[in-house]
Amino acid sequence: MSSDGTTLYIRGNRAVEVTKSEVTLGDILSMECADRRVIPRVKALPVLKIRTPGRQRYVISILEIIACIHKNCPGIEVQNLGAADIIVTCENQKTPSKLWHIAKTVFVAAVTFFGAAFTIMAFNNDVDVTRLFGQIHELATGRAGSGFTVLEISYSAGLTVGILLFFNHFGKKRFTADPTPMEIQMRLYENDIQTTLAENASRRGDEIDVDNTDASGSDRD
Amino acid sequence: MKLMWTTQMLLAVIGISAGIAVAGGLFAFLVELGVVADFADRTHTGDRILLYESCAAFGGIIGNIIYVFQISIPAGPWILGICGILAGIFAGCWAMALAEILNVFPVFLRRAGLIKYLTVFILSIALGKGLGACLFFFRGW
Repeated sequence: MSSDGTTLYIRGNRAVEVTKSEVTLGDILSMECADRRVIPRVKALPVLKIRTPGRQRYVISILEIIACIHKNCPGIEVQNLGAADIIVTCENQKTPSKLWHIAKTVFVAAVTFFGAAFTIMAFNNDVDVTRLFGQIHELATGRAGSGFTVLEISYSAGLTVGILLFFNHFGKKRFTADPTPMEIQMRLYENDIQTTLAENASRRGDEIDVDNTDASGSDRD
Repeated sequence: MKLMWTTQMLLAVIGISAGIAVAGGLFAFLVELGVVADFADRTHTGDRILLYESCAAFGGIIGNIIYVFQISIPAGPWILGICGILAGIFAGCWAMALAEILNVFPVFLRRAGLIKYLTVFILSIALGKGLGACLFFFRGW
């Protein structure tokens, strides 16, 4: 082995999607090594074989991957710079039709639109904004408000400004370069799902690991 | 005349501040509950999150205008029914997301030692909420 003692740096994302049934290390990891010849060899190593067709998930421990590299290329030192567990999701090759995607988008957009409209109305109703504005109007001018005063107009304007400022964009035009609150929420949600998947697999003991004994003894469930 | 101007200005400042504060609070709540992020994830349409955000923003703006100015919309029962279903779905997800954020389920499930019958538990929550809403409207409470 010419590659004795060289260090191989590997880095995997926490969640990887694959479409083929023969998953090699190159599909789920990016790697770097001083010895250039090592990389293509390691990349071609098979790590997972998906037998049954359809959508399914596997959680592979990084130890299993390191063991796989050690077995096939002894003498290489492996340094992991990425996640400790890699979630491999096998997707069917056929992508769902564009029309279905649009239909789902329209549905979610409609639910969001009417839901937000309902929410603000429910809030206004709950705190009785109409009566409150009448009271403020009477306090300030001495006369009862007509329900269509500067207060109602400026409240609506302020609400509009506040919502747009909060969401940080108007249509496709962003006010600042920051991600929007929902984009952040999306990522957080994805992170939670990935953590749950990895921990569930490790608790059930069906994580693909070097030794599949469950080390977490405090499990009750 | 001058006094009236200042009063109107004061009212305008109050109104704008109230609007911005309400928008910030309510929509921070809406985003933090993660209802829409959940929708986007469930339907695999995360690439359209900006569109959903715009929809939430416009829904809030237009819903508020309709409410505050009591604008009447000539819509038949069909359109009303569709709006009702959409708003109902949203409110249902909202209620469950709220319970989830407050960790109601993990606490109860852990106390009761329930794991197996999680689906029954969830189903009974959904049915209970639906039944409760029906009762509320039928009795006119």
